[in-house]
Amino acid sequence: MAISRFSYANLRVMDLPKAVKHYTETVGLRLVESDDQRAYFQADECQDHHCLIVSLSDRAGIDHVGFKVNDPSDLVEAAEAAAAHGLAVRDVPLGEIAGQGPGVMITLPSEHNMLLFYHADKIGYAGGMHNPTPGVSKNKIGAKVTHLDHTLLSCENAQPTVDFLTKVFDFSLTEKVVDPGGNLIAAFLTCTNTMHDLALGPGPNGTFHHMAFGMHSRGEVLEGVDILKEDEVPTLEYGVSRHGIAGVTTIYFHDPSGNRNEFYNGAYQAAGKPDLVPPIVWDVENFPRGAFYYENQIPETFFDEVT
Amino acid sequence: MGLKHRGILRIAYVRLGLNDIRLTQSLNFYRDRFGMLESMRDSERAYLRCWHETFQYNLVLEQTAENQLIEIGFHVRDEEDLDHLTNKIEVAGIQVEQSAANEPLNGMGRSISFTIPGGQRLRLFADMAQSGYVTGFESPDWVTPRELRGTAAPMFLNHVGLTSADPGATIDFLSDVLGFGLSEKIVSEDGKRLSGLMFRMCRDVGGQELAIFPGEDGHLHHIAFTKEDPNDILVIGQYLREDGINIDSYGPTKQSYGNTFSLHFFDNFGIRLELCCGGRNIDAHPESEPVIWDESELSKALSYYDADVNPGFLDHSL
Repeated sequence: MAISRFSYANLRVMDLPKAVKHYTETVGLRLVESDDQRAYFQADECQDHHCLIVSLSDRAGIDHVGFKVNDPSDLVEAAEAAAAHGLAVRDVPLGEIAGQGPGVMITLPSEHNMLLFYHADKIGYAGGMHNPTPGVSKNKIGAKVTHLDHTLLSCENAQPTVDFLTKVFDFSLTEKVVDPGGNLIAAFLTCTNTMHDLALGPGPNGTFHHMAFGMHSRGEVLEGVDILKEDEVPTLEYGVSRHGIAGVTTIYFHDPSGNRNEFYNGAYQAAGKPDLVPPIVWDVENFPRGAFYYENQIPETFFDEVT
Repeated sequence: MGLKHRGILRIAYVRLGLNDIRLTQSLNFYRDRFGMLESMRDSERAYLRCWHETFQYNLVLEQTAENQLIEIGFHVRDEEDLDHLTNKIEVAGIQVEQSAANEPLNGMGRSISFTIPGGQRLRLFADMAQSGYVTGFESPDWVTPRELRGTAAPMFLNHVGLTSADPGATIDFLSDVLGFGLSEKIVSEDGKRLSGLMFRMCRDVGGQELAIFPGEDGHLHHIAFTKEDPNDILVIGQYLREDGINIDSYGPTKQSYGNTFSLHFFDNFGIRLELCCGGRNIDAHPESEPVIWDESELSKALSYYDADVNPGFLDHSL
């Protein structure tokens, strides 16, 4: 069948206890399990084992992104298709990553590792799977994130990765930013019906720009900003904003190792098949409005700061 | 070859037949007060779309002798899906009608239609004309168009509620034959399925494209549209009330069943409409597990904020 979910990001962090504190007490994720090398987290309104893994390392950045397929035979097919495309592929056996089945790791042209797998253990929604109480408990600590929404990875030239993901892995391109020569600067790709599961922006190959956590309302994004400020988490200088691209409410901030996070609320919907709807095209002149709708300019640090 | 999103990709439209001469009353409601864009009109029908939608219609209105739900349309990937699903539906013992492009609706490719066990008619197609985004495709402002501000201005068609004498049979057909997933269900004390939320799309405001409720076969329970968040819905409730539109006695509420923030109200033909945001986060995967509700928790399921079950809420509205 197909790639059916952006399941998780595996980030590298330099201080595991600080990362655990940030992602639970500030971001509001559930800590699912941890040891002295790794910690696994899930958002309240997701039923799989994790949406974030942080691994202890000597530098920040992205280890890999995990996507789920909805047929076990997809793994073989994806590995063969990626190898035929000249990409490095390796098997990831059961047990290498907690809470999920075996998978295949593919190195994209952008030098990011993408792990495909079929099975995720279930921990259920935070409210339970039986007569659940909706909303968030008054005892919850941290922001009211509901799910991992998307990630933006940086690379020198997004085009080969976009070509591979759309032609071979059936991702759809919803919006893109192009320079006057028609070259791709940024691309927004989805394997579901959301605006983007995976985006690619400018920067050194293999680097990480941000991962975004969804919320149910703009009010909750604002409450999230209050929590960030109270916890003295460094945020983008603009504070809360709106992306012209996608038209969503947003704030960026950093984890203690410098990996960028985002809180996000929006309802944009994509058709679900590549090339069914032509992509929205942003030109360079309008890109600042696309990135930060209210402020209409992009801070210098925004694309320079990647991990 | 796999690695392709096959079968039903998206919910596309609802087609209503209304006893409404020249569609005057219904256009007054859906276009002028509810805030949909009129994409096209022919001698028989009006075709309306939500403002964030590029495809030509999410709602088709046509004049008929009696008010009725005519059909619900779903977009599939390609012609191969149409052939594959035709075969599956026929193997399930249900007759499939084949229609040529632009028959019966304009702007649509070849299609198939059939009656599901609950008595409603569905139509599947692979091609639909696009009006294009009202914002344009170049560096757009993703902002509610000026002419729609002050109306409900829905972003997308979200889901359609149907009533069914045997909800279990309808749920099984939608799952086994059409490939829908089940995000939530309500079960009776003796284990019968009373209701199910069925989905194909994975998105922010997700978890259902068809909601199956107990009741008479062949009827429409409600039509739901997407908004961005609860603040929008609260404000739009004010516009609707100011406009004299009949709002369901639940008022704005959190619907635990489906995990949405919702407001239900009625058009001028008595058809129940919903604006919703939020929704259940679930993926189209065989291992995804549904939320299960006991019938004894119906009040909490249907409206978390209201003390009692609204007695008319489970009635069909068309």
